[in-house]
Amino acid sequence: MTSEEATQPVPANDFSGTIWAEVDRALSGITARPEAGVKDVIVHIPRDEVIAGLRRLKADAALHFDYLRCLSGIDREADGIEVVYHLYSTDKKHNLTVKTTLPMDDLNVATATTVWRGANWLERETAEMFGVRFTGHPDPRTLLMPEDMTDVHPLLKSHPLAEIEVLQGEGMGYPEEGA
Amino acid sequence: MVTERAREFDTQDLLINVGPQHPSTHGVFRMVLEVDGELVKDVIPYIGYLHRGAEKLCETMDYRQGIGFMDRTEYLAAFNAELSYVMAVEELAGLEVPERAQWIRMILCELNRLSSHFMFLGAFGVDTGVMGTPFIYGWREREMLIDLFEEISGDRMMYAYFRPGGLAWDVTRNFKERVREVIKSSAQGIKDFDGLFTENEIFVARTKGIGYISAEDAIDYGMSGPSIRASGVPLDVRRDEPYLKYSEVDFQVVTGQHGDVFDRYACRLQEMRESIKIIEQCLDKMADTGPIMPEKMPRMLRTPPGEVYMRTEAPRGEYGIYLVSNGGNRPYRLKVRSACLSNLQALKQMSVGLYVADAILVLGSIDIVLSEVDR
Repeated sequence: MTSEEATQPVPANDFSGTIWAEVDRALSGITARPEAGVKDVIVHIPRDEVIAGLRRLKADAALHFDYLRCLSGIDREADGIEVVYHLYSTDKKHNLTVKTTLPMDDLNVATATTVWRGANWLERETAEMFGVRFTGHPDPRTLLMPEDMTDVHPLLKSHPLAEIEVLQGEGMGYPEEGA
Repeated sequence: MVTERAREFDTQDLLINVGPQHPSTHGVFRMVLEVDGELVKDVIPYIGYLHRGAEKLCETMDYRQGIGFMDRTEYLAAFNAELSYVMAVEELAGLEVPERAQWIRMILCELNRLSSHFMFLGAFGVDTGVMGTPFIYGWREREMLIDLFEEISGDRMMYAYFRPGGLAWDVTRNFKERVREVIKSSAQGIKDFDGLFTENEIFVARTKGIGYISAEDAIDYGMSGPSIRASGVPLDVRRDEPYLKYSEVDFQVVTGQHGDVFDRYACRLQEMRESIKIIEQCLDKMADTGPIMPEKMPRMLRTPPGEVYMRTEAPRGEYGIYLVSNGGNRPYRLKVRSACLSNLQALKQMSVGLYVADAILVLGSIDIVLSEVDR
């Protein structure tokens, strides 16, 4: 149990009947705060410890989260960017969501490709869409965006949707308004 | 694969660009093959040619408007894509879907699996070098299914028929008879493909033993659907985390043993038989009349703040919708977990060491839809 959790009021559902007890045991020594999700338990881990935590969740015999379902980001504007890992165990058949929050002025987090190889493209996508840098990533190219558009991060809330055509640049052959 | 005699020649490595406009890449996918003679030494995939930013666009649309975008992310199995999305919204909004609507959804999703797999069989035949016959056979069966979808939803591919809460409107009065008619024809179509491919010596010789991936690697890459089941991993969302009424029907999770191209083909074909079994059970259990939408639906659908990762088993694997709401009438963030994207990551591992012509088969065997990969 961590100091951060002690200050938080315990939610109405006390995580009994969920896998939180197991997760808490596997993550001993790592700061982790549970939150009740609609389907799965969500665990918040600070970014310095998140990869160590994920590795332990995968290695733990009782949990065995060997399958990375999804890796994505959420732009919480002033609260930074959340990187979300959806884990699944192919033999134990249980789910867990792990989240880590990065402050807007320092969007660095260690890569999860060292835990699951499948994180490779998912991290590349999250990197280009949110400007997150996954340190130690073996192949930090763009995935869906053009190679030279490394300074545009479309899924950020600050990215204007209506002006995308402008961003794509002049000279694309679009006729002028009213021409 | 290389004979000693071939090794004596000192050859220079060559880069071959396959795609984005190439018939074997099933869409706008590009891969650069580094080849030594006929042998593939490296594969560098490039995607993103079809990136339309559906996730960002959905953030500006209310929940009902987003359905159309989901159709377009997975155009060969649009019912399955819609299903994930509307179920994610229902889960957050706490909507109860009437039973009859659930049965109809299930029938349509399984029919969509059939049509999508028929498309795969036809296209895969072309990949193996059999132009014509299998393609037309696959197309013929798919056409029957699509005609049925058109009768029900009004559209051949982009249905927008599932709505949060239920269905857009009721099915036609002769729905059950029409479905029975179509699955009868599909069952015959599957038999035809057995004769065309499964018992075809040349086809078997071309596809057996190539494009191998082990169960551990497949799990590590996050593969799903028939592509991972062919490696012997019984991973099926319908069985592991039943949604709709899948817990009430009896079906087998088809797995392969060898994890090669032939197994990935055979798994799909066998899976189609299971789909027909599921549809028959659904038709027996489904009521002829009844509500298809909850009685009280709000005019403007809002969801409480929260998030859900909804996953369903689409024809190509796990199609996930990660929906984050901040209490409004539109998603705060919507992430589409594409099965093909994860499956495609294993392409390099499966293709290195094969002949160029076999690498095309490997790509065909994971059955990619580029609009789902790029979104």
